[in-house]
Amino acid sequence: MLKKRQSFLVLSLVVLLVATFGMVASAQRQVTLKIGLPGSYDVTSKDIIDQFIAEHPHINVEIQEAPWGDFTSKIATQIAGNTMPDVWFQENAVILGYGERGVAQDLAAYIERDLDTDEYIDGLFSARTPDGKVWGVPHGINPVALAYNKTVFEEAGVPFPTDDWTYADLIEAAKQLTVVEGEEPVRFGFIGAYAITNGWFPWIKQAGGSALDETKTKSMFDDPRTIAGLKQLRQGIEEGYFTNVDFVRAHGGDLEVFASGKAAMHFMQYSLQVNMQNNYPDVDWDVVKMPKAVNGERYVPMVANSWLISSRASQASKDAAWEFLKFYLGNDAQNIVAASGSTLPVKLSAYEVIEASGTKPLNKAAYTDGIAEGGVTLDENATWNEWRLLVQQQVNESVVHGKITVEEAAAEIHKKVQEVLDEN
Amino acid sequence: MHKQRYWGYVFTFPFIINVLVFLLFPIVFSAYISFTKYDLFNAPKWIGLTNWINILNKREFWLSMRNVSMFALIFVPLQTSFAFLVAFMLNQAALKAKSLFRLFYFLPVITPWLAAGVVWSWMFNYQYGVLNWFLGLVGIDPVNWLYSRSWVVVIASIALVNVWKGLGQSMVILLAGMQNVPHEVLESAQIDGASSRQLLTHIVFPIVTPMVYLVMILSTISAFQTFDVFLGLFGGITTGISEQSMVPNIMIYRDAFLLFKLGPASATAWLLFFVILAITLFQQYFEKRWVHYD
Repeated sequence: MLKKRQSFLVLSLVVLLVATFGMVASAQRQVTLKIGLPGSYDVTSKDIIDQFIAEHPHINVEIQEAPWGDFTSKIATQIAGNTMPDVWFQENAVILGYGERGVAQDLAAYIERDLDTDEYIDGLFSARTPDGKVWGVPHGINPVALAYNKTVFEEAGVPFPTDDWTYADLIEAAKQLTVVEGEEPVRFGFIGAYAITNGWFPWIKQAGGSALDETKTKSMFDDPRTIAGLKQLRQGIEEGYFTNVDFVRAHGGDLEVFASGKAAMHFMQYSLQVNMQNNYPDVDWDVVKMPKAVNGERYVPMVANSWLISSRASQASKDAAWEFLKFYLGNDAQNIVAASGSTLPVKLSAYEVIEASGTKPLNKAAYTDGIAEGGVTLDENATWNEWRLLVQQQVNESVVHGKITVEEAAAEIHKKVQEVLDEN
Repeated sequence: MHKQRYWGYVFTFPFIINVLVFLLFPIVFSAYISFTKYDLFNAPKWIGLTNWINILNKREFWLSMRNVSMFALIFVPLQTSFAFLVAFMLNQAALKAKSLFRLFYFLPVITPWLAAGVVWSWMFNYQYGVLNWFLGLVGIDPVNWLYSRSWVVVIASIALVNVWKGLGQSMVILLAGMQNVPHEVLESAQIDGASSRQLLTHIVFPIVTPMVYLVMILSTISAFQTFDVFLGLFGGITTGISEQSMVPNIMIYRDAFLLFKLGPASATAWLLFFVILAITLFQQYFEKRWVHYD
């Protein structure tokens, strides 16, 4: 009886010890990963997060989600208070600023160790600095293509645009497509957008100019080619074959004007196809690649949102965060990104999903081949947010409202942008 | 007695902590960071008067002060006088459906700036706006309300929108004051043959001058701190509010939370504080000459 009791006691002790050590070992392996999702699951597919959680049981994922504006307001305070997530994404230019301020982890070594960069488009390195640091990897890429309203072209008897078009062809077609009744324009050839991505930036690039030089330390707004590009955009608005801001605002915005046939062409970002599908499913439209520049090259402006890993996270959390980013850049997640249509993935294999898609625009190769041929970032650097605002102020004054000449605006921009670049 | 005092300190302790942590500390800290280079993410670095000198040498700062001064100059008298007139009309005993009218005038106060901004920017639209359509009917050339070459036109247009939005609030304060005017005084003045105009200027106005003064002080402070109306009408900071239409609070917000330049933002905020303080003291200096508390 006593022996039995002793055996039972020993057995119980062994079980208890095994269970305790097992729990300790398990707890050591477990790591918590805080993922920040601006725009919540409207911007990042929930399927990706769910799959990651299912495939990584040792990582406890905590999601911090909020509408985009709220998230970006909150994150600065979180960083200041050291309570930010371990991994989150924001606009690529913001990530570059974070990198310079020591908030973001350099991912160059991780990428070199774990990724075959031949499997990705060049946009993978959107957050790379001239000295080789990589502050983030893309959440998605949003390039621009020339969208055209087929019905308007057919009614006007103007041939559809092609991938061989130059900006001169675009201007010529815009003139032919513009209709004025009395003094009132009822249809414009092209939407004279004035924001950076689909407005002034492609116009200065096509003229052979740029915002900054290759080192991103010198303003190029004194370059006659940059000024010429801005002047062409202003001329189109002034002479009435590009929309003006009053018309677009009064008629519901760029997409409404394009979809309703009040403008025939538009430099449309890839993500807007989702709005077009949801809000204007019956409109007959498609896209071609961005027109060629004066030097025969093609420049396709693209904006990226990029994931970053907090430099202040623990090593275990950094490793878990990189595990997440590797998963995000893997086949399954990239296929989900591709299927969403809201942004372009960066992995080449996922482009098969896009090519197989039957939704409008049918010629999605205008985007995918477009960035392969001439994808360019918006001259982003750590001070992009600051100098971009200065440029936009003057573009509004000159190109949009005609209150000052383009030359005056360019001189002012050049002086101020250079001050910002020198200061930093 | 001693025990009572002890409990007094105990009960006020949470409020003292609140004042120290959420009022006094931010004020002192913002003064400190105005002398530093601080980006929210790294420790502040002392740079002396550099931020203050840079701001005072910045054209944008002086343009923003010019704009906000003109804004106050148009907004405060208009808002105060219109609110006074509306309150006087709504205080008439003979007026029917008073509550409905009060609601009507107060409605803009509770309208979010986001919605109001969109509606007013449509109304101000140069080519298609309803205001220019009306001007066209009487043969007047359209006005580029928000993007005119004349900065005074732009600031005046925005000030008018602010009057529309803030009138209700000032009206409620003045109405409360007018309702405290003794009926006997008004009746005896009427028996003595006072006209409505004389009642307004010689009886009602002198009695409600403390309220008028309060409305003027509050309107002046809100004018110098204006933010929402500019943001609402121009559609956001990132779309590029021009230097000619800039105001200090938008500069402060942009520098602090978009560009993470907390030092210059704090210096601008302190400069704005000194301007508001000076103007408030100026108003207070003349208070005794026209405000009647008896």
